[in-house]
Amino acid sequence: MNKTITFTINGQQQTLEVEPGTMLIDLIRDQLNLTGTKRGCDNATCGSCVIIMDGKAVKSCSMPSEKADQKNIFTIEGISKGMHLHVIQQELIQSGAIQCGFCTPGIVNELVALFDQKPNCSETEIITAINKHLCRCTGYEPILEGTLKAQKKLLG
Amino acid sequence: MTYKYLGKSYIRPDAIAKATGKAIFLDDIRIPGMLYAAILRPKFAHAIIVEIDTSEAEKMPGVLNVVTGQDCKIHYGDNISDFVPMAVDRVRHIGEPVAAVIADTPFHAKEALEKIKVVYDPLPVYVDAKESLHENSILIHPDLTDYWHLPTIHPEPGTNIAHKYQLVKGSGEKGFDEADVVIEHEFNYPLASCAALEPHGAIAWFKEDHTIEIWSSSICPFIIRDEIAKSYGIPVSDVRIHIPELGGCFGYKSDVTVEETIAWIASFVPGKPIKWVASRQEDITSTLLGHGIRTVMKIGAKKDGELVALKTTIYHSTGAYSDTGVNVMMAATHNSTGPYEFKHCDLTGYSVYTNTPPVGAFRGYGHAEPQFATERMMDILARAINMSPLELRMKNYLKEGKVNSLGEHMWESNGSVEKCADIVDNAIYGHEQVKEDDNYYYGRGFAALMKSPKGAPFSTKGCYMKMNIDGSVSINMGGAEVGQGLRTVVQQVAAEALQIPPEKIRVYTELDTQFSPYEWQTIGSMFTMQGGRAIVRAAKKLIQILKRTAAQVLKTDVDYLEYDGENVYLRNDPSVKISVKELNRGYITEDGITVGEVAQAVSDARLPRYSNPDKNGQGNLGVTYTFGAQGAEIRIEKKTGKVIVDHIASAFDVGTVVNPLQIRGTVLGGVIIGLGAALYEKVEIDDAGNITNPHYFQYHIPTLKEAPRQTIEFVETPDPIGPFGARGIGEHPVIGVAPAILNAIFEAIGVDFYDLPVTPEKIRAAMETRKENVK
Repeated sequence: MNKTITFTINGQQQTLEVEPGTMLIDLIRDQLNLTGTKRGCDNATCGSCVIIMDGKAVKSCSMPSEKADQKNIFTIEGISKGMHLHVIQQELIQSGAIQCGFCTPGIVNELVALFDQKPNCSETEIITAINKHLCRCTGYEPILEGTLKAQKKLLG
Repeated sequence: MTYKYLGKSYIRPDAIAKATGKAIFLDDIRIPGMLYAAILRPKFAHAIIVEIDTSEAEKMPGVLNVVTGQDCKIHYGDNISDFVPMAVDRVRHIGEPVAAVIADTPFHAKEALEKIKVVYDPLPVYVDAKESLHENSILIHPDLTDYWHLPTIHPEPGTNIAHKYQLVKGSGEKGFDEADVVIEHEFNYPLASCAALEPHGAIAWFKEDHTIEIWSSSICPFIIRDEIAKSYGIPVSDVRIHIPELGGCFGYKSDVTVEETIAWIASFVPGKPIKWVASRQEDITSTLLGHGIRTVMKIGAKKDGELVALKTTIYHSTGAYSDTGVNVMMAATHNSTGPYEFKHCDLTGYSVYTNTPPVGAFRGYGHAEPQFATERMMDILARAINMSPLELRMKNYLKEGKVNSLGEHMWESNGSVEKCADIVDNAIYGHEQVKEDDNYYYGRGFAALMKSPKGAPFSTKGCYMKMNIDGSVSINMGGAEVGQGLRTVVQQVAAEALQIPPEKIRVYTELDTQFSPYEWQTIGSMFTMQGGRAIVRAAKKLIQILKRTAAQVLKTDVDYLEYDGENVYLRNDPSVKISVKELNRGYITEDGITVGEVAQAVSDARLPRYSNPDKNGQGNLGVTYTFGAQGAEIRIEKKTGKVIVDHIASAFDVGTVVNPLQIRGTVLGGVIIGLGAALYEKVEIDDAGNITNPHYFQYHIPTLKEAPRQTIEFVETPDPIGPFGARGIGEHPVIGVAPAILNAIFEAIGVDFYDLPVTPEKIRAAMETRKENVK
């Protein structure tokens, strides 16, 4: 039985019918055409599909789509505002943290959620958050460097 | 030499699109009317297909068609055409396409797959070259002699050897007569997955006008185009290949991988675009794997450390198809000298069919695998002759006046391995060694390395350059941006060549064989060198056009004119000048008559005098070599046997640093891939040919917490061919990491390892053995 769910995504309210068994990533990518959310693995390991749901970073590939009901969701498309990039995006770019860019949306969302919840989080907490994501290009150093710079800027 | 726009950390032009999630990768493409394919993989890694029953699958919801390989006559491969798009009468590995369902959704396609019934007659399975080389082994390709192949490929009829390559330098094996000391060991660099975050995928569309259009996550649109045209008997110009953004490559998106399969499936439903994207499991089990190289190495040396003779035998488990692997084996064979001169070489390589997924490129391509052996051997030899391992190396490095295995003379302009070695020596050994404590053993290790060029007779790279009416410039090339930062290199090299700020140079985005200039494929760390050279050549032509037009306007000779990016002016009087803005579409005279040409240029660049191997297996690979060195500081946890890498130092002679931020990023990432190979990564294949770890949670690639501190430095000895002296750097950072770590492990616990990866279990077992020996 299809289920009708209502949620907010990137500030816009949506009411959709979802098929049982589909995951949130399918809804986001295929029904809403928000293709910035990436699929890199089959079983919630790589972190490329991370989105923000009610302020928390979640893996959309293992989240049944009906769980989005009544939730407030942000995908990478909702992180920058028009021409203005989020500080995290800016600092990752400046630090050379973007090579192929496939893991980037998931990492940006992870960090946006982390800093929204805990702006003063420790470097260890930041490392634990980034450690949930696989990146094959950068060796991670520029990601950590950019994140620390972004935190500094966000804290003013 | 100082440059205006090189040596500066410009930010890559694609960064914002990637950071905002707007960059379009293969799976993000939607074409109206698009349908989806799912592919059935076999239950056996080697079997005859007795029967396929698709009738139940055809009745499933949403299914349009079920496709098999029955009656498929297509064979493809541009080295040896042993590949088939879909299994015809037999399966040769566990990821081989057996049948496919075309349906309205990916879900329906997958659901119907389960209803396809296949009867197999299993055959013996060989997962290692040594097994399939056995004289009693059955043939994985009984029709081997029927396959087209390049004249440089030598299949051995009646065996599972797809290609044998031999190189003899000096007196070959007889050279060992001159040696005082001889050591011999066998090393294994196992099968691995490039494991880019973006899996493979393709969309194929056989159109009603008899053209074929394909989108693919590939780095070689022109090879795909040529092969597809050949397969379906249409003009090459009627095949159009698009390459969107690529989510990493690291090797396995080169050559034809999934495209012939998806095209075969799409050929059954003309008029309909068919999309297929690999799951992670399929990406590991059914595309290309890397490595699978056993190196048996014998080194002969004088007592004083002078290297005399090298005998290497490479056994490459090249998988069920060898077209993508034969060149990896050849590179592994002739690069097995490492950065050293051996007077006598006897090097043999075998590409051997096995019932495993085909092996193709993996960052390091035939360098990391044999030089893992060479660099371990240097340490072992140093111990045998009681010499410092760094001193032993220093005595034998390739440098000006030396001759490599291929018979090529080395020049000062090839760069300095000695300088790189000194930098790493200082970074790793320049401080006190940490002493063993209650929890850890500590060790330090070193490896030097050499990267040869990688080409082919037709391996050129093209450049289209046009100056726009406002003096800005648009550049179109065929190089695939996989994340390596090629677009920034294009922008900066063009800026330098044209003396125009990078902000006024717009670099192409997607590749499209309808618009892009020809490029063989973006491989072998060759783009900066070759592509950059093509840019410099195009810029020279374009400037010449501006000068020719200016000569008419200023009523002088072309060779009296200078160009500075903004104006063309008289050499002896710069005040007599004309703006490039007035010249670049030809010059419009007062009466409206236009003189001169539009400022646009076409060029290409190949490897100078690249040649096929001669009767001794020697030849010219194209002049540009790169040297480097790497070192590791590690500790081993006594309780668990876990190796923790604390520090990796790398130095490479890259000719000229184009972009400091990017080149550091290239090394940072490459080192982590080398670290994965040393300690974690191996595609596990059981005796039946099943891959038992086809997911990221089983096939572990390093995470942030496993990434060591890195020291990265560059030596800049300008390259004679590269643009403004620049050489490649893409694959180099992988090469020395594993041997440096294993050499450090020896220093820490006194155990030599020869097989990768070195897992905690192996360390624990070795320490147990050592304890017993001490008793």
